[in-house]
Amino acid sequence: MLYRTAGQFKTSYKSDMALFPVRQDAVLLMVILGFAWVVFPLTASEFAFQTLLIPILIYALAAQGLNILTGYAGQLSLGTAAFMGVGAYACYKLVTLFPWMNPVIAILLSGIFSAGVGVAFGIPSLRIKGFYLAIATLAAQFFLVWLFEKWGWLYNYNASGAIQVPNLDMFGLYVAGPQASSIVQYYVVLAVVTLMTLLCINLTRGTLGRSWKATRDMDIAAELIGINLMRSKLTAFAVSSYVVGVAGALFVFMWRGAAEPNLFDIPLSFRILFIAIIGGLGSILGNYLGAILIVGLPVMLGTVPQALGLPISSATVEHLNIMIVGALIVFFLIIEPHGLARLWALIREKLIIWPFPH
Amino acid sequence: MKTLTRLAGAAALGALLAGGAMAEGLYAPNLAYRTGPFAATGIPLMNGQKDYMELMNARDGGIGGIAIDFDECETGYSTEKGVECYEKTKGKAIVTQPWSTGITLQVLPKTNVDEIPILAPGYGFSPMADGKVFQWAFNTPLSYWDGASILIKYLGAQGDLKGKKIAFLHLDHPFGKEPLPYLEAAAEAQGFELLPIPVGLKEMQNQSAQWLQIRRERPDNVIMWGWGAMNAGAITEAVKTKYPMENMLGVWWAGHDADLKIVGEAGKGYKSVSWSFPNPEAPIMADLQKYVVEPGKTQSNAEEMSGVFYSRGLVISMILGEGIRVAQEHAGKPEITPADLRWGLENLNITEERLDELGMTGMVPPFSTSCDNHTGHSGGWILEWDGEKFVKATDLIMPDADMIAPLETKAAMEYADANQPWPVNDACGG
Repeated sequence: MLYRTAGQFKTSYKSDMALFPVRQDAVLLMVILGFAWVVFPLTASEFAFQTLLIPILIYALAAQGLNILTGYAGQLSLGTAAFMGVGAYACYKLVTLFPWMNPVIAILLSGIFSAGVGVAFGIPSLRIKGFYLAIATLAAQFFLVWLFEKWGWLYNYNASGAIQVPNLDMFGLYVAGPQASSIVQYYVVLAVVTLMTLLCINLTRGTLGRSWKATRDMDIAAELIGINLMRSKLTAFAVSSYVVGVAGALFVFMWRGAAEPNLFDIPLSFRILFIAIIGGLGSILGNYLGAILIVGLPVMLGTVPQALGLPISSATVEHLNIMIVGALIVFFLIIEPHGLARLWALIREKLIIWPFPH
Repeated sequence: MKTLTRLAGAAALGALLAGGAMAEGLYAPNLAYRTGPFAATGIPLMNGQKDYMELMNARDGGIGGIAIDFDECETGYSTEKGVECYEKTKGKAIVTQPWSTGITLQVLPKTNVDEIPILAPGYGFSPMADGKVFQWAFNTPLSYWDGASILIKYLGAQGDLKGKKIAFLHLDHPFGKEPLPYLEAAAEAQGFELLPIPVGLKEMQNQSAQWLQIRRERPDNVIMWGWGAMNAGAITEAVKTKYPMENMLGVWWAGHDADLKIVGEAGKGYKSVSWSFPNPEAPIMADLQKYVVEPGKTQSNAEEMSGVFYSRGLVISMILGEGIRVAQEHAGKPEITPADLRWGLENLNITEERLDELGMTGMVPPFSTSCDNHTGHSGGWILEWDGEKFVKATDLIMPDADMIAPLETKAAMEYADANQPWPVNDACGG
């Protein structure tokens, strides 16, 4: 009913290849973007910005980077947090070495460092596959966190060993640091995430994306039909690490405000991997759905007892929260092992053929 | 549509919270950690803090005639959750108690903008003592640099430190690195050799590599800057390698009764510096029994209540309570604002007489704060484990203020410079 596609004729190749061949999809996206760009900033409280909107966007972006590597190119990685760390430390060095630099430019540039490191650790992927590659990326994870701890130059020899985001302004408006207001940070994050998502959607639809998918599905067959595996795998590592690095820079500069090396340890890698898996490997939408479930839901659940006025101690709330979110993860993986994005795709398909199920 | 409804729900919930119902009384949240890897050390502290406020409400009807709405927000010692709690509570809170060096680092610059006092008794960033720069932060009654200084002074009193070797076993984390600038300066001034031995967060429970190094280097003393699972790990490892316990000393967070009970007799002689001490004879303990324990308002038990950490929790809430009282007297009304509380915490004067009045004789050394001294530098005792419990081994030892003050000023200025624009309280003399 809502999704009836009857009457939407494709009269040219261009319209057939459009990003959203079904008109309702485009309308829905416009509504979501309208909410994200206009409605939320007008209505959200400081709490909503800091604990829901900004972190969900940043985690979704990090998962998106991982999804390019794991979901599209089929290379399992457990080093996402370390690559985020590279982005964050690179951004810190850039803004402290060149204080005149525009912070958004610094964030976008810091992804390049992360991409370089990613490619270096991606080289073994040419020879090793699957779980063995996961172990190799795990090595990156441990090595880089160790490096963040031991290399004093990275954190400007701070006594505490942590990096602290200075106040950065752009056209007279603070965008990072304690003086920055949440709404400005939200818009910066939203703009960068929108840009990156657009980039990812188009990359995965193009030649590069197709060669990644071919590599993922069967690398020998891909090689036989003339795909250069080295190029395909290394570009996947580069693009993925770039996006992850940008997410890492946003993570520290637009949200956390300070970071210690063990922030980028393996629990963060797992968290992002879970977002990508529960959201749906090989999809862009899934990352957002996964981030809402893993990052947003616990925060929302935590506020429920207080909002209802239930006298539950905060420690109990925390325990309940862990149980509920854990149960939901299992539930969603049972009803749809391919993730939330696939669940949405099924719902959409059912809506299109409604009321004639088959 | 799913995305939409969820996001809309989120926004609605957030909005609801922002305008949430005002509770009665002064809202004093505590970012507690009763879950997670450090819960074992957190629970007695949180119970002590909570019970003190329960006592105030039950016995005196609050402080200055207004009830204290003491609320906990669970962080599990995670920085992410801590920031979430800070954002959740800051709207109506008169104080923030961040309870971890990580959360303190994160919240410290924000309190300057939000103008909420941050109370971090015995933890956080040592340069916070400089009240001119850190207008909103308080780490009463002792900073980590003070603690390290007391330990070095105590060792110095046992014999000249020149040519000695002191190992500094610390958590490889902002908390563990905190006393390093002082210790390095002290090593240079007093001519002892400092041997920093970091323990990674993942190695806390298995410190065999670190203790092998200690066995090889044979330091004259080991100073331990540990927390949570690291303490029990280090103490059992020290017993196993037969390191002489009387040469091992710890910071106040490494003086947890339960950690030493594991080794019992073998831990005899282990020392820890402390600015709080349990006094079972103190009148407040009887009042707690009558007003809090008997009506069933506590989550604690008799054994925990006799320990060092529970009584430290009481002292921490006492500091906050006294800050509120002083602020109320200054403001002339019971409903104080965060700015009033800041004034109160800046003008604390905890004397022996006041401690007697509060029924807390001997539980904390007397101290006072001022607008350029946010720590108070109360001095501390060296506690010694006698095989069953901690006993006071020395009288009050004062930190080496001449050496610490310039370090504090320098570090505070560096922090302010790195975080420009940073408002500095120039009105404050001294």
